[in-house]
Amino acid sequence: MKTRTIRAWTWVHKWSSLVSTVFLLMLCVTGLPLVFTHEIEEVLLHQAWTPANPEGRRLDLDQVLATALSRHPGDVPAFMSFDEDRPVVNVTSRAPDAPAGAYNFQPIDQTSGYAAPLVAGHPVMEFLLQLHTDMFLGLPGMLFLGAMGLLLVVAVVSGVVLYAPFMRRLPFGTVRADKAARTRWLDYHNLLGAVTVAWVLVVGVTGVVNTLATPIIAYWKDTALKDLTAAYDAPVAAGERASLDAAVKRAQAALPGMQLQFVAFPGSSYSTDHHYAVFFHGDTPVTTHMITPALIDARTGDLAAVAPMPWYVKTLSLSQPLHFGDYGGLALKILWALLDVATIVILVSGLYLWLAKRRRAG
Amino acid sequence: MSRQTSQRRDLSSWAIFRIPVVVAILSLIGLVGALLDDGAWDWIGSGLLAVAVVVTVWALIVRRRRAT
Repeated sequence: MKTRTIRAWTWVHKWSSLVSTVFLLMLCVTGLPLVFTHEIEEVLLHQAWTPANPEGRRLDLDQVLATALSRHPGDVPAFMSFDEDRPVVNVTSRAPDAPAGAYNFQPIDQTSGYAAPLVAGHPVMEFLLQLHTDMFLGLPGMLFLGAMGLLLVVAVVSGVVLYAPFMRRLPFGTVRADKAARTRWLDYHNLLGAVTVAWVLVVGVTGVVNTLATPIIAYWKDTALKDLTAAYDAPVAAGERASLDAAVKRAQAALPGMQLQFVAFPGSSYSTDHHYAVFFHGDTPVTTHMITPALIDARTGDLAAVAPMPWYVKTLSLSQPLHFGDYGGLALKILWALLDVATIVILVSGLYLWLAKRRRAG
Repeated sequence: MSRQTSQRRDLSSWAIFRIPVVVAILSLIGLVGALLDDGAWDWIGSGLLAVAVVVTVWALIVRRRRAT
C-alpha cells in the first residue's frame, strides 16, 4: 500500500473515530447493563405475586381497558400487551396534553382488575435505555446516534484496511509487552479490533437500523397502510369504537396458530386513525421477531385486512435481537457483555493512541 | 541472523488476515445460527461467538510471551 493511501485511510480512521468515540463509549457503557435487562429487572422488581382468582373467570379486554382508564380519567389508550407467564394485561395510555413519550403503564390482573406488580420498566433501566436510544432528545437524538453508528462502521472498515500495513511484519496477536506503552496499546487495539470486527459491525449496523425505527414505521403507515384508510374520512372517536375484545377475537380467527403480542389503538403509532391493529408473532426463533398485524375496523369490528409487514419493517424487526443479543440465552448475553467490554477497550485505547501521538508530536 | 531476516519479510495478506477472517466467519455463523433456531443452536451459536474471546485469550498468553 502506498504511503499516500495509508495516510488517507489513517485520516478517515482518525476522524471517524474521534468524532464518534464519546458517544460510542456512552452506548457501550449503557449497553452493558441493558444486555441483562431481563435478569436485572427480575432482581429489582421481583415480588411474590399470585393472581387474585387464579381459577376464576378472566375479565374480557373491554373490562380491563375500562378498569385501566378509570384510574387515569381522560387518558387515551395507546397500546395493550399481554404477559406470557401470568394472567396480566398491560395497558399503556396517555393524557391528550401529555408531552411526547409520556405514557401511563398499568399491569392489570385479568382475574380481578387489581393492579399487578411491574415485571419490566424499572426506572433505572428505563433511564439507561432512553439515554442509549436517544439521549432524551427524541427523534433527533436517535438519528444523531444513528449517524454515530455509521461513523463506527467507517472506523471499523478503515481500521481493517490499516490493519494490513501495521501487521505486515507481526504475527497475528503479537503484543510487544516489552516496548513503550504506546506500542503495547497499539497491539491491544489491533488484536481486539481484529477479533471483534464481525460482532461490532453486526451490532453497529443493526443499531443504525434501530435508530430509523420511527421513520420506518412512519413510512409504513404512509404507504402500506394508506390504501386501507382511503375509504375513511374522519378519525373514529372513542365513543364510536366497537368492542375491543370482539376485535381481538376476530383477529385471532384470521391468524390461527399465531401468538397474540399487542394491540395498537386507533391514532397510536403502529396503527391508523380507524383501526385496532392487533399484532401477532410466530413461535419459531425467527418468526418470534416477525410481527403481523390484523387490522380491525374500529367502528364496525370487522376485519379490514391482514397486512404482512414489508421487507423494511422485517429488517427492523430482525435488527432488534441482533443488536440486543437477547435471543440465545444467558451464554450469548455473557459473550455480548465481554465483546462490549472489548469494544470499550478498543475505543479508550484508540483515544489514548491519538493523545500519545499528539503529545509526542507536540 | 537468518531468523531476524525472515522476521523482517512482509507477511502475505492471507497470513495477516486468515485468523481474523476465520474468527469473523465463525462469529457471523454463530450470530445468525442462534437466531434461526433454538435449543442446540443457542449453544452452538454462543460457542462460535466465543471463538473471538478464546482467540484473544490465546493471543494474550501465547503471543505476548513470544514478543521480543
